[in-house]
Amino acid sequence: MNNIQEIEGPRGLKGWYTNMMSAGWVVPTFVATWICIVVIPLVIMVYFSFLDVRYYEVYYDEPSFKIWWSIIESGRWMAVTRTLRITATLTIIQLLIAFPFALWLAKGCQSKGVKASIITLLTIPFFLDASSRIIVWRPILGTNGVINTVLMDLGIINQPMEWMLFSEFAVHFGMLAPYFPTMVFPIFLVLTLIDDEYIQASRDLGASPGQTLFHVILPLSLPGIVAGVVFTMVPLMAAFVEPGMLGGGFVNVLGDSIEAALRNLKYPTAAAMSTLVMILLALLLVVLVVISRRRGALGNIFQTMKR
Amino acid sequence: MSKFEPTRRDVVKGAAAGVVVAAASSFDPAKQALAASNVVTGYGVTTSQLKDWSIMTASIGLEMQWTGTNADIGTYMRDVISNDLGETHDIFIFDGGTEDILGPKGHYAVLQEDHPELTLWDRTSDDWKRTDLLKDAAGVQYGVPVIGNGDSFGYFPDKLGASADGMDEISFEMLYESEVTRGRCATDQSWLLSGSEMAHYCKHHGRVEIEDATDCTGAEMRQVVDIAIEWKKAGQFRTLHTAFEEQVQLLANREVDIINCWEPATKNANLELGADIVKYAFTVEGYYKWGHGAYMHVKAKDRGNVDNIHKMLNYYMSGEYRAYQAEQRGYAGPNMDLGIEYATANGWSEDQIANLAWTEKKVNKKFEKPFFGKPAAIHAAEMEEEWQRFLNV
Repeated sequence: MNNIQEIEGPRGLKGWYTNMMSAGWVVPTFVATWICIVVIPLVIMVYFSFLDVRYYEVYYDEPSFKIWWSIIESGRWMAVTRTLRITATLTIIQLLIAFPFALWLAKGCQSKGVKASIITLLTIPFFLDASSRIIVWRPILGTNGVINTVLMDLGIINQPMEWMLFSEFAVHFGMLAPYFPTMVFPIFLVLTLIDDEYIQASRDLGASPGQTLFHVILPLSLPGIVAGVVFTMVPLMAAFVEPGMLGGGFVNVLGDSIEAALRNLKYPTAAAMSTLVMILLALLLVVLVVISRRRGALGNIFQTMKR
Repeated sequence: MSKFEPTRRDVVKGAAAGVVVAAASSFDPAKQALAASNVVTGYGVTTSQLKDWSIMTASIGLEMQWTGTNADIGTYMRDVISNDLGETHDIFIFDGGTEDILGPKGHYAVLQEDHPELTLWDRTSDDWKRTDLLKDAAGVQYGVPVIGNGDSFGYFPDKLGASADGMDEISFEMLYESEVTRGRCATDQSWLLSGSEMAHYCKHHGRVEIEDATDCTGAEMRQVVDIAIEWKKAGQFRTLHTAFEEQVQLLANREVDIINCWEPATKNANLELGADIVKYAFTVEGYYKWGHGAYMHVKAKDRGNVDNIHKMLNYYMSGEYRAYQAEQRGYAGPNMDLGIEYATANGWSEDQIANLAWTEKKVNKKFEKPFFGKPAAIHAAEMEEEWQRFLNV
């Protein structure tokens, strides 16, 4: 713990200021630039959420909570809760699949060729835009699609399974592959960095495979899990192509709602919805900080893996 | 009351002026070049384009420099108002209705109907040129008609028990609340199209008292959406679509039996399914009216290119443009007779000429029913808010 304290340096605002200035001009320049290109636009966005639109024009004269209230009245809030639910479900599913896969890839797969091939295959979703990736599922999952046709021809089902397309199932299914790499890679990276001698020592001390997993590997891989969750959850919250194309209009998410507002020049509504996203992401960051503090400061999260 | 007045381009110009004020104010080579040449610049929906502008160049000697956009009114308004495209573009083409806002605000120029280059104006029928899609609320004429249609829905006649020739008048009931089509219907996600059509249906059948179905108040739209939510909860809709490609795919895959869509979607689907498998409906209740208007920007008046711009506006009403638009996209427009005349004089095939004649006949049949549609409705914001309830349930 002393080591971690040394790495963290002095705490509090004064400590933060001291650390920032000790880095010379680099950090202040970064902070100033970041404030200009990120923070100030965000503040303007929040301000916009209190303005009004009348007949395609934004009015600046009477800031109010009207737009925020309209988010409740119009049912746009349901898009928020739906987005959160889908994001949480998918993140958990991704984590449950990605962790054992990453563990096998990092520690179980002995062939360098196989490992390289799998890593290459995992990057494929990054090469294709979302629409091209998703549109192919429609003729496969549809009522007259490949799966239903084959199953009906084989006599396994009598009626096409309509729930396979234009449903929450389809949205979850369609978002599994595109967001899998963002969960796998950070976990794989961290697991690769865990020294095999830790695992060997655990075995030598009589731990079962389960005990080694839960008491050695899992705690050491926490930085990768946190990173994987963040890298997967954040884009999932902003996703709207997959829900749009596979949800068939029945899975209206935050991105759809913001897009619809922008299409109608309702910038204050889009700003209010985006502010909501920001608040949710800020809450996520707080949770992340709380979790990561158990293993040291956020900035030194990977340091805890050092021997 | 304060409004956001300066455009983005004005701000950039203001900043730039401090550095290059002398040069910028005295000489603009781009403007000079355009004024001296036969080039007309246009911005608007891609459906109004000829697929090959060289046909027009050979015919009237003008060149078109076209910048396309989609049918998203938000993007269009932003580009005209905030990005001030009038600085660089002469002609704007979009769904009629935008002149209600952009005319009085000083972006669109009032149409000079007696301009010598506007030779076809007088012979163009009032059905096309005097539509409210080209005039503002005060009746001031800003645009010339380009193309238009009455939108309804595509359907498989055998699934609805309708005649195979597609001449039956089908009720929107089939789309919204018929057990025959339950779970096999698709409607557009946009409030502008689907919301207006549902409101018109409810008004037509006395389900909701509405003064103007294309410009419902919040209270009127709330009642319409409440009914639409019942349809949705009953499982009427298989999907709510958003794009032209989706319309084609849903029909071509036979994922739905009936879908409100653009007419070319049925044409494209039939390319995959076979001729005349999908029909575009003649309806009982009427049609969602849309028409593209061509408008000259006020700022184009100072570019010394006004005659060419009017020559271009006139071309949109000509037989050549009409024939190619109908042939390539199946859309009608003013002076269809000139289109047929052009095709005949230029040796088009009998099939092509028959198709042009059918386009004219089809539009005339549609005109027997009510037409409705208002892209820039005064209550657009309220309608969109209520529509969100339909999408979010």
